[in-house]
Amino acid sequence: MSFRRVLTGGVAIALAVAGGLTAVGAAPTAAGAAGPSCPLKALSKASKPVQITFWQSLPQANLAAINKLVAQFNASQTDVKVNVVSQVSYDDTFTKYKAGLSSGDLPDIVMLQETDQQQMIDTTTVLPSGACAKADKYSFSDFLPRVVSYYTVKGQMYAMPFNVSGPVLYYNKKSFTAAGLDPEKPPASLDELVADAQKIKAAGAVSKAPLGLKTEPGFIEHMIAIGGSTFVNNDNGRKARATKSTFDNKTGRQVFQTLSTMVKNGLAEPTPDSGTGTFNDLIGIGNGQFAMAFDTSASLGTISQFLATGAYPNVSLGVAPMVGASPKKGGVLVSGGALYMVNKSEPAKQAAAWKFLKWLDEPAQQTTWSIDTGYIPIRKAAAATAAMQDYWAKNPAYKVAYDQLLSGPNTVATAGSVIGNYKGVRDAVRDAENSMFLQGKDPRAALKDAASNANSAISDYNSRVG
Amino acid sequence: MSGDRVSTRADRRRRVLKTVGRYALLTFLAVVVLFPIYITVVSSLLTPAQISRQPPTFFPTHPKFSSYSDAWSGAHFGTYLKNSFVVTIVITVGQVVTAILAGYAFAFLEFPFKRTLFVVFLATLMVPFEVTIVTNLTTVSDLGMYDSYAGLAVPFLATGFGAFLVRQAFLTLPRDLRDAAALDGYGHWRFMTRVAVPLARPAVAALAVFAFLGAWNQYLWPLLVTKDDRLRTVQIGLRQLSGLALGSPNVVYAGAVIAVVPLVILLLFFQKHLVRGLTSGAVKG
Amino acid sequence: MKQARRRREHALAYGLLAPALVVFALFVFFPLFKNVYLGFFKNPPFPGLPKKYVGFDQYRDVLTSRDFLESLKTTALFALLTVPVGIALGLGLAVVAHQQLKGIGIYRTIFSSTVATSVAVAAVIFGTLLSPQVGLLPWLGLTTEPPILQNTSWALVAVAVTTVWQTLGLTFILMSAGLQSVPDDLLEAARVDGAGAWSRFWHVTLPLMSPTIFFAVVVGTIFAFQTFGQIDLLTQGGPLKKTNVLTYFIYTTLRNQSDPGKAAVLAVALFFFTMLLALAQIRLLERRVSYER
Repeated sequence: MSFRRVLTGGVAIALAVAGGLTAVGAAPTAAGAAGPSCPLKALSKASKPVQITFWQSLPQANLAAINKLVAQFNASQTDVKVNVVSQVSYDDTFTKYKAGLSSGDLPDIVMLQETDQQQMIDTTTVLPSGACAKADKYSFSDFLPRVVSYYTVKGQMYAMPFNVSGPVLYYNKKSFTAAGLDPEKPPASLDELVADAQKIKAAGAVSKAPLGLKTEPGFIEHMIAIGGSTFVNNDNGRKARATKSTFDNKTGRQVFQTLSTMVKNGLAEPTPDSGTGTFNDLIGIGNGQFAMAFDTSASLGTISQFLATGAYPNVSLGVAPMVGASPKKGGVLVSGGALYMVNKSEPAKQAAAWKFLKWLDEPAQQTTWSIDTGYIPIRKAAAATAAMQDYWAKNPAYKVAYDQLLSGPNTVATAGSVIGNYKGVRDAVRDAENSMFLQGKDPRAALKDAASNANSAISDYNSRVG
Repeated sequence: MSGDRVSTRADRRRRVLKTVGRYALLTFLAVVVLFPIYITVVSSLLTPAQISRQPPTFFPTHPKFSSYSDAWSGAHFGTYLKNSFVVTIVITVGQVVTAILAGYAFAFLEFPFKRTLFVVFLATLMVPFEVTIVTNLTTVSDLGMYDSYAGLAVPFLATGFGAFLVRQAFLTLPRDLRDAAALDGYGHWRFMTRVAVPLARPAVAALAVFAFLGAWNQYLWPLLVTKDDRLRTVQIGLRQLSGLALGSPNVVYAGAVIAVVPLVILLLFFQKHLVRGLTSGAVKG
Repeated sequence: MKQARRRREHALAYGLLAPALVVFALFVFFPLFKNVYLGFFKNPPFPGLPKKYVGFDQYRDVLTSRDFLESLKTTALFALLTVPVGIALGLGLAVVAHQQLKGIGIYRTIFSSTVATSVAVAAVIFGTLLSPQVGLLPWLGLTTEPPILQNTSWALVAVAVTTVWQTLGLTFILMSAGLQSVPDDLLEAARVDGAGAWSRFWHVTLPLMSPTIFFAVVVGTIFAFQTFGQIDLLTQGGPLKKTNVLTYFIYTTLRNQSDPGKAAVLAVALFFFTMLLALAQIRLLERRVSYER
């Protein structure tokens, strides 16, 4: 039998190849980073129209809204032509972007989710929107403060904010009425959430549990931020790179304790935060299993459509601000996605990208975008337009997420955290949630595990970006 | 059964009962196997609200076919189907050819390092594609095949699985077959194309089906190796649809059905081939 | 003379293997060896940043980590749940469908129909069938608490059921192809000798099908070790990493943690484990396989 020989032979070859490659791989990689500058003037010198590629990540339903805006922009001027390419999902977009760093296929503008911020900065391929704003004497003062602070890291604004959403509390007014609660007075704190849930359960107003609790770690972050606490150190990673989690404190304990007790007492039932069951919490409100659920405001359009079919006479959907830790010393964080300009593009394309993004964030466009998709308008001027006001008057539920972004103080806690390995940290939190919910683990121990696993995820990543 | 024997009534009844029993068993199994597919087709014709209603709907009384046109336009199925077909056919033909060549060598020829090379072929099966994807993307770009049909197909033109499958099939052919063919003046080439491959047809057909499915169902690689909609494939369209899951699961199911239909047609076509291979007793040398 | 012929045979063999070998060298072994190499480094999350040589440290750390050992266990369990059951069901269907009956072709088509579904389609279907909100289970009264896909004891079983169903068509086709290598006259002879249906199956059919079953076991195990899509769509490795099979672990390490070095170590480990397992199966099983008649 020559199997053993083959195996050892294989290892020998592998090592030989590895040795050979070390010499090649050790070649220094030149990264010419001489401070970000924005080549504004390159556009006027270039031959027109300058074609730019925009990778977008939103599902089909929102693509139409993006295409509409892009077509409008392309028709409005002759200098720049934007080509939209859909990359299916945020994760797929970033995977493709990272692959593009070696294959060379990069866009001029890319849409990534909020949690990708630190990694995107670490690729050193971002043309900061702040640099272009400075060169162009453009001001972000009309933008919602929390949006600006979310996308500002170490004093520099990297992304151009665009599609902002936030978490809200969806609830069934009829279940509230059935439980003798005021349907116009949804819970405003974790304590009230528990109290209302107990009444709903006692009244038998739901078939499963009062709260469909999606195990989305992001919701925990919102709850902690509402309590005014940071999530990671170094001012949530904004002063310097975050090195440790900070949520194993009184606020974190309150959140973990409350949720754990709710699940234990049958007041809440966990639902998945990804895969085919992602919307089980909202569907559960529809078919009477739950009375409440936390979910993103971006789902409002689809859930309304879903309920509007007339198949759910027992549901009257209410939307309330997100519930969090008390005392309420902070507010919810910015969620959703943002647009990044790529500094690997030719100067003319960089300038063209800036021109397009500036246009995209104008009040009129933000209004259209918000009405078409349910995303939050990110400028006060957009919120003040007659069209927006009119829309909100007819659909007050859509205004909740906007108002809550303006409520509460703006602190480092409400700026949100910037973490390189954000997914690793969220995995740690999700595992802790599940260990409480599925295995009855003590919330204090679960929180401690979450913090220490988050710490190792953070330091592992940090050690690799040097 | 001997024809001379006079079958009693009890005998005949037992035979009828046996046949009925066989059909009952077959039908029961068929229902179990088909049920998930059936429910998908049904769900694609319901409204989102009907899909999540209890008890479940097993028969659509008011089928809504609009989900199909939504899925068709939403997932660019026109272009994507064409691309999927081109890429899939190239990969299938490539895999079948390379597998026959290699399988033949392993089954009928003697050469140094045969065992080692066979293990090398098997080893390729054990390298998960998810791991090679990043390196392969660079390789494909370096070869100038980025964003082309070649880039989509070339890395998959050979598999250890195929060579293994065909080798196994060739090994079940009687050994003296080759000697007999040699006496008739058949060289290796003629023996392979005229005798071995026709006799191993079921295995080759199975391989073709398998290669086709594997290629048809690729997702991540086509997404990474293409620039935009021009060269994208069906599975990408399907994923684009599933972003709609809450609002319109029926459209996702419709998309799934559209993605599966070409394969069902292919299966019906190939099934004849497979069945013929299965029933003709081709290998009973 | 004889030597020249043998040399020609060698040349022919290498020529026949060449096309496949070129593809393998470029797209399988080159990346594999690159992984072995990457495993010796702490890698940056993106290309373009420097990497740090750490020798065997990373191999040691990753391969002794609890996550890895758990993942290996999950992977092995998954293979045990899917391969024997899948083959038994496929063989059973093939035997049932291997009879001369009117309309048997229709049944054969139905039994092979699941090959038309992809992993993605199967996951969409079963995700719905198994959902506590929309599915059939509550209607049938088959509910687990927590729901099956979030249940630490049942999630892996649910993924296994999905997998067995999705691969059933292919197993059926393979087994049917194998059944045709069983000569009817042998079965007839056994019948004349007074062997019952079960005895004929056990003593004639099964031994003669051993090459096919052997093939299905080896390849099935390898594929089970590479299961990815259904995990990604149904459970994302959860709940509490209970479905975190190695391929999915590698994928998330690469994609979510952006750690090519760690992913490379895992990939190399997966490669060697599958290799060892396949070789063990080949040594153990191929001896019992009868190619000759």
